[in-house]
Amino acid sequence: MFWTVTRTLLEGFGTTVQIFALTLVFALPLGLVVAAGSMSKWAPFRGLGRADSPAWIKALASLRPISALVDLVVWVIRGTPLMLQLYVMFYVPGMVTGTNPWGSGAQGRITATLVAFVINYACYFSVIYRGGIQGVPQGQREAGEVLGMTRGQIFFKVTLLQMVKRVVPPMSNEIITLVKDTSLANTIGVVELIRAGETFRTNGGLIWPFFYTAVFYLAFVGLLTILFNLLEKKLSYFRV
Amino acid sequence: MNTKKLGALALALLLTLSLAACGDSAGGDTATPTPAPGTQAPDAQTTESPAAESDVAYIQNKGTLVVGITEFAPMDYQDENGEWIGFDADLARKVADALGVEVEFSLIEWGSKLMELDSKTVDCLWNGMTITDEITNGASATNAYATNAQVVVLKADVAEEYQTVESLAGLNFAVEAGSAGEAAAQEAGLTHVSVSDQATALMEVSSGTSDACIVDLLMAGAMIGEGTSYPDLTFTVRLAEEEYGVGCRKGSDLAEFINEQLKALYDDGTITALAEQYGIADNIIPQE
Repeated sequence: MFWTVTRTLLEGFGTTVQIFALTLVFALPLGLVVAAGSMSKWAPFRGLGRADSPAWIKALASLRPISALVDLVVWVIRGTPLMLQLYVMFYVPGMVTGTNPWGSGAQGRITATLVAFVINYACYFSVIYRGGIQGVPQGQREAGEVLGMTRGQIFFKVTLLQMVKRVVPPMSNEIITLVKDTSLANTIGVVELIRAGETFRTNGGLIWPFFYTAVFYLAFVGLLTILFNLLEKKLSYFRV
Repeated sequence: MNTKKLGALALALLLTLSLAACGDSAGGDTATPTPAPGTQAPDAQTTESPAAESDVAYIQNKGTLVVGITEFAPMDYQDENGEWIGFDADLARKVADALGVEVEFSLIEWGSKLMELDSKTVDCLWNGMTITDEITNGASATNAYATNAQVVVLKADVAEEYQTVESLAGLNFAVEAGSAGEAAAQEAGLTHVSVSDQATALMEVSSGTSDACIVDLLMAGAMIGEGTSYPDLTFTVRLAEEEYGVGCRKGSDLAEFINEQLKALYDDGTITALAEQYGIADNIIPQE
């Protein structure tokens, strides 16, 4: 029995890892895009503002549309439960258009989960990235300019390089949370680790497999913790 | 300067694209509470109306009948090879054959069953489903094909004291939220908490956090006693008799199609044979 349960849980764990890994693959870069968007200084109406203009023109002149739009999205995504976002993502398109865009079967549910998770986590990551980027002292960018580096070189070789090591501790928190957030996918019928354990509880009258799932999460998070510690050590250059 | 502007533009594009998906769903959110077809956007209506005219044609067109289930022995469960079997699963397979389409079983969260139908992520609910007001209001149910009862489950050592409905008054019950068991508890005026599923209700009794629970007779038969985590539980009072049917989208012609199939399968003895195979022969309702 123990081996049957372990095998079933490993199958569910495979789905959990799939959601985890693919969410990271897409959300890590998308988060950088969102961060860049929220820091965008593009203000198309800047030229309109004069010292004696009415208040609304001044407001328009200081409007940064990209930054405002991105902040709105981040607010909505961070301000609503991920579980609700999963429901909206999976059920609402089919209700509105009359056809289910996700494809039938288990894979469709996993795809919907991934889209919801990537958007959600990209928003959280973006704020961490922004902290990391803004934490790099202005003087370093100026030094880069003095050295004759291009803007791209300054971003990738000065700012981004130092951002990466600054964001590792907060990112490790967020990524470990993601491991356990994957369990939310079972609310739209994805058979991940928790649901795999629940099958025994809801159908076979066995409770212990449900609690046994904790072992898998613990082992996985343990592995991630070790990896993050190694990464932090590896990135501890610049220390004098 | 130029590269900066270009970058900003590319960003704006990317964000609009990634937002497009969000925008769609947000718009849908406000549209769903008013299901009157007249109030919907014209393009939504044109894609929706053919399906509303004939759900059977829609299913035959896409070539699969997607059956929404939860794992629920002996109605729908997996054999050693991961194939879905059970009384309901086998019947659904026969109906799919009659439709000339493949059958596909999709595990769903039972609380979202009506949403699953409406969003077309499943085509029918066939999972030992009690025909309740929720179902008849929000979906189209077929004729009943089997009966079931809600029973009181409690610890075996106190079972003797609670053999009548009157004796249950002082107990704290656990019931599945939205289940026929919850309705039975409300009707009998019993003190109860609602939990996420029947298995959790059983766990409540086992751990002593509730004195008793109300679950399906079929489920109680399969989940308590020797060989389970609940060897010390037993069932006593039958509270409500109920009937099982198949749930289809509201107004769908699939319900009528399944009714015809149920009758044909009953007349040729298939249903009786299946019922014997899965041990529910006493629960079958003859199809007139």
